[in-house]
Amino acid sequence: MDLIIGLTVNGLATGMLIFLLAAGLTLIFGLMSVLNFAHGGLFIWGAYTGVWSFQMTGSFIVGIIIAIITGLLLGLVTERLIIRPVYGNHIQQILITLGFMLVLQEFIKVVFGPDQKAVFPPEILQGSFLVGDIVLIKYRLFIIAVGLLIFIVSSFILKRTRVGLIVRAGVMNKEMVQSLGINIKLVFMLVFMVGSGMAALSGILHAVYSGVIYAEMGLEFSILAFIVVVIGGMGSFSGSLFAAILVGLAQAFMAYYVPALSLAVNMLLMTVVLIFRPQGLFGKG
Amino acid sequence: MNIRNVEKSTWIFIIIGLLLFIVPFIITGRSMQFIIIQIFIFAIFAMSYDILLGFTGIISFGHVMFFGIGAYSTAIVMDRMDATVLSFFVAILVAVVIASIVSFIVGALTLRLKSHFYAMLTLALAGLFLVAAEKWRSLTGGNDGFTFRLPEILRDSHHLYVLCLVSLVLLFFGLRRFTKSPFGRVLMAIRENEARTESLGYKVLHYKVIASVAAGVVASIAGVLYALSLRFVNTGVFATDLTIDVLLMTIIGGVGTLVGPILGAGLVELAHHWLSGLSDVHWIFERWIILYGTVYILVVIFFPLGIIGTLQSKFMNRSIKGLRNSRKTVGK
Repeated sequence: MDLIIGLTVNGLATGMLIFLLAAGLTLIFGLMSVLNFAHGGLFIWGAYTGVWSFQMTGSFIVGIIIAIITGLLLGLVTERLIIRPVYGNHIQQILITLGFMLVLQEFIKVVFGPDQKAVFPPEILQGSFLVGDIVLIKYRLFIIAVGLLIFIVSSFILKRTRVGLIVRAGVMNKEMVQSLGINIKLVFMLVFMVGSGMAALSGILHAVYSGVIYAEMGLEFSILAFIVVVIGGMGSFSGSLFAAILVGLAQAFMAYYVPALSLAVNMLLMTVVLIFRPQGLFGKG
Repeated sequence: MNIRNVEKSTWIFIIIGLLLFIVPFIITGRSMQFIIIQIFIFAIFAMSYDILLGFTGIISFGHVMFFGIGAYSTAIVMDRMDATVLSFFVAILVAVVIASIVSFIVGALTLRLKSHFYAMLTLALAGLFLVAAEKWRSLTGGNDGFTFRLPEILRDSHHLYVLCLVSLVLLFFGLRRFTKSPFGRVLMAIRENEARTESLGYKVLHYKVIASVAAGVVASIAGVLYALSLRFVNTGVFATDLTIDVLLMTIIGGVGTLVGPILGAGLVELAHHWLSGLSDVHWIFERWIILYGTVYILVVIFFPLGIIGTLQSKFMNRSIKGLRNSRKTVGK
């Protein structure tokens, strides 16, 4: 029993990290129909700058804040320089964002060095709680809490505020929103920045979670996020949470019981979804 | 076939192809010959990518999986069987069969989806192949890879050169014929306007699947030659970097031209060689991918047609206009 609870907590924590990455992807796709292959690059930049400032100042909160700021700024630059010149041309978008991903990844090696770096969680989040026989690792619970918090706050913004209303309307029909006198480009930019910030947050949280960071991590981890976006349905925010948890749990249990198949199980999940529901579990039409 | 009907450009390509056969007598340095062989191999790989990206308008980020399938099937077959020419042919056969089955399954499953999905899925699938090659150690030797012996005749660098050049020339003319056939025209129609092609009554999915199978098979042949030229194989043949390289070659050279990817392969391979040589001068050259990525981004934004494509649209304006006029008369 304690094993199953342990694996579940594990899976939920991984799921939340993937969700933070996938949520940005899915919103950006839903609103601008841009599939951002550079998302993994924002993820590692968040991880490296966050870890760097965490180790410099010794404060994890500062690390997280720096990571998010890096994500927001990089998101701004990416949207302006990389995405804006090629709006509306899908093939160019896909090609160019992949190229930018590479540049981001190599720049990490220039700035922070090409070697792997070890990361340790802050003292307050080290160790674990003991509930009966069940060991609950603090940091994993922390990730789950942060992920849920982000989900609740963003859902609130999306569903209850005027900005959220505009974003949701933009996902449905952006020409109409624009013709109603709303600066949709500004909304695009904001959503892109928020999505990048979430990716960077995911990066720093994942860096501490896995205990080691390296430049190729971004592309590897963003593949999971792509799988989640496909399973959850492109453009669906709650779909990406559901699919991320599904993928996280599948990965955690498979990694324990059949380690060789832990990546394959996600591909299998995605294939099944694609055959029976190509628009994704929560996607429309 | 009447010899007068052969296009002028065909003669030019034949002459260039024949001239290339003399090159190994002029350039006798082994390392330079090796680089030229690599250029031929990557030219084949890039041409196969051009069938997808340039002619059908499909973006695959996992094209390297077919290359890897080719390389691994050669290495495994040559390792398990005797090092004879016969087992070399068996290796090619195995590579082609596996590549066509895999590309058929992948294509049939995912090509009905939008371009985004296909790009993502192929990226993920190639990742799966990479992990499989790392984990299935009894077959692949894991990350370290393994060496294998070649039949006597293929050990000579000159013979290998001729083999690669002949494959390149044959595949080039084969693919050129393929793209100029009615079938190839339909592929281009899909690239230009998928919905309209569908409404004209073509089964777009069938055409796309066949194109992806053709591209997969040609890529696997490039993989076979790659393994032969190194006499060694490791998980590097499934690395995403190779897909990026081949993307760069196709885009810099010019998508949808077939000659462009060959030129691109030459440029990229030579640049790669020189830049990594420069890493003794300054450490920044070790990170040449930054330069690559930047060039690539600039090309995508400013020269989406690539070198050959830009030249063609500049100097062959007349032929394009002529095409438009003929279309108009048909319309009347």
